[in-house]
Amino acid sequence: MATLTDRAAPAAAAAHRRGRRPSGVQQARSRAGWILLLPALVHSAIFIAVPTVIVVALGFTDTRIVGRGSWIGLGNYVKLLGDDTFRKALLHTLTYTLVVVPVGMVVALLIAIGLNQNIRVRGLFRTLFYIPVVTATVAVSVVWLWIYNPSTGLANEVLAFFGIGRSGWLTDPHTALPALMVVGIWQGLGFKMILYLAALQGISPDLIDAARLDGASKWQVFRNVTWPGLAPVQFFVLVTSIAGSFQVFDLVYVTTGGGPANATNVLNFDIFTNAFARLQIGYASAETVIMLIFVGVLIYVGRLSQRDRKEL
Amino acid sequence: MTSANPQSVADVVTAGEHLRPALTPGQRRRRPRIGRVALYVVLSVGGFLMVVPFLWMVLTSVKTLGEVNTFSWLPRGFHWRNYVEAFNVAPFAIYFRNSLIVVVGQTIPVLALTSAAGYALAQLPIRAKGTILNYFILLLVVPFQVLIVPLFLVVRSVPFAGGNDILGHGGIGWIDSWWALIIPFISAPLYVFLARQFFVSLPTELADAARVDGVSEIGIFFRIMAPLAKPAFITIALFNAESAWNGFIWPLVATSSERLRPLQFGLAAFVQSNSGSPQWPFIMAMSALATLPMILLFVFGQRYFIAGLATSGIKG
Repeated sequence: MATLTDRAAPAAAAAHRRGRRPSGVQQARSRAGWILLLPALVHSAIFIAVPTVIVVALGFTDTRIVGRGSWIGLGNYVKLLGDDTFRKALLHTLTYTLVVVPVGMVVALLIAIGLNQNIRVRGLFRTLFYIPVVTATVAVSVVWLWIYNPSTGLANEVLAFFGIGRSGWLTDPHTALPALMVVGIWQGLGFKMILYLAALQGISPDLIDAARLDGASKWQVFRNVTWPGLAPVQFFVLVTSIAGSFQVFDLVYVTTGGGPANATNVLNFDIFTNAFARLQIGYASAETVIMLIFVGVLIYVGRLSQRDRKEL
Repeated sequence: MTSANPQSVADVVTAGEHLRPALTPGQRRRRPRIGRVALYVVLSVGGFLMVVPFLWMVLTSVKTLGEVNTFSWLPRGFHWRNYVEAFNVAPFAIYFRNSLIVVVGQTIPVLALTSAAGYALAQLPIRAKGTILNYFILLLVVPFQVLIVPLFLVVRSVPFAGGNDILGHGGIGWIDSWWALIIPFISAPLYVFLARQFFVSLPTELADAARVDGVSEIGIFFRIMAPLAKPAFITIALFNAESAWNGFIWPLVATSSERLRPLQFGLAAFVQSNSGSPQWPFIMAMSALATLPMILLFVFGQRYFIAGLATSGIKG
């Protein structure tokens, strides 16, 4: 976000000019600016800013889908503490995030480094890795549901090919969540990889050559030139990955519906169920607020680790 | 971190591969060949694993209904008729049409609204410009899933719609209508930000010249600046087409009637409706058709996709 403050400079200059020479032209430009800005501004207020405030407020009420709710203070939150389904959903989401995000980031970085070597057909590889990102989660979830089919699916045949016993995959409470993590990592890989690749290509080859000439080993070059060069993109990848894995919904809805035995009931699916199946809008809003807090905390921790690294 | 012109970012990212100095023969001979071979092998295996689900999808889609009762690697013959027959077992034609309506209905206003706002924030003297920009960036961070519940309530209480009174009570508002599928998405902070990053990099001289010629400020935007912003328009259109085409949870929440059901919702509903004995070849055929447009869009618009990512990511 550092660039944003830089950009304030022309704005300040414009304000300065306006202050000194309040002309009709400047007024016309300002008016035109507001006319052009207003539709997007109003839209974002109605459909994003106000709903965000509403969801926080609703969390303190017992609103149901029809009729009006009343203020119950922290009632929902107290109830959530004792709600076993919710606690499990939170645990599943955290487990999912703590596996999918780091594994995805490491694998994506390795692929990006591989693609950043002087290799042929880089464009083809980049496309292959990115295709799962642009395809609909519903459609790919349907495909994975078929792959994980316990009786005639591809996954069990592959296991059999290597002489490993069959698995129930999504029908077995022990393997269902890990099976979904595989899909999550698979689908998110390309997005992270392409950001890393863009950042790697932004690192000056001269810098690397200079380090090499000074006798730095490959590892030293990576540690002292490449890694610091990735710092800005690392944080962005981390934030989007955490937010993304907290939001997982389509995949669960299509493949398991939160089952078996709630084994894949993640936070977002629980929110959906409480809001639109049990019709408890207030309760689901409180859950949403907790999700928002967790995402915020994880991002904050990520940011702190980033800062520490820079100081070292 | 200075200029943020999507076109130039695209050039850096995609052209970078040609800019790398070619190795001289001497250098090449000195490199350990085994490492390069291993790199290609690893990347090829990785790339293959990425597309295995898609290959499996297509292979299954041309098997007969009886064939999938037992496992087989390859289809006995290419039963392309599945692609026609699937349209008869569920109203997939309507689902496709609906998704197309949603994509076009969202994307055209998105382009108008976000480019106008982005231009205003980049080039016109507006008071509190920095604050407004930070407001958009703050909203950009709000995950969409957070908005599902309150957005449902907002859309349900649109005044005078769907039997509502002036206060938005009594009816269903825009729920189960095209409005619900389109209006909440005719602008987005991410695209405002992308458009602004683009317009910031354009010179102001052109606008000044037009101003001297007496073109109105709004006219300058529509006739001079907007045509220059084609790369930004393409990036935003591609991003939005992708999210509109792939969207699932909002249509699931906001619509109930089949005549409004977009493709992904239709596909999920079809899978659930015949979960007793799933007709996998039909399901895979429709999944293939549901993913193909976005794959094509990405393959042909790759540089714009990447430019948008680079602008929103690295520069953000």
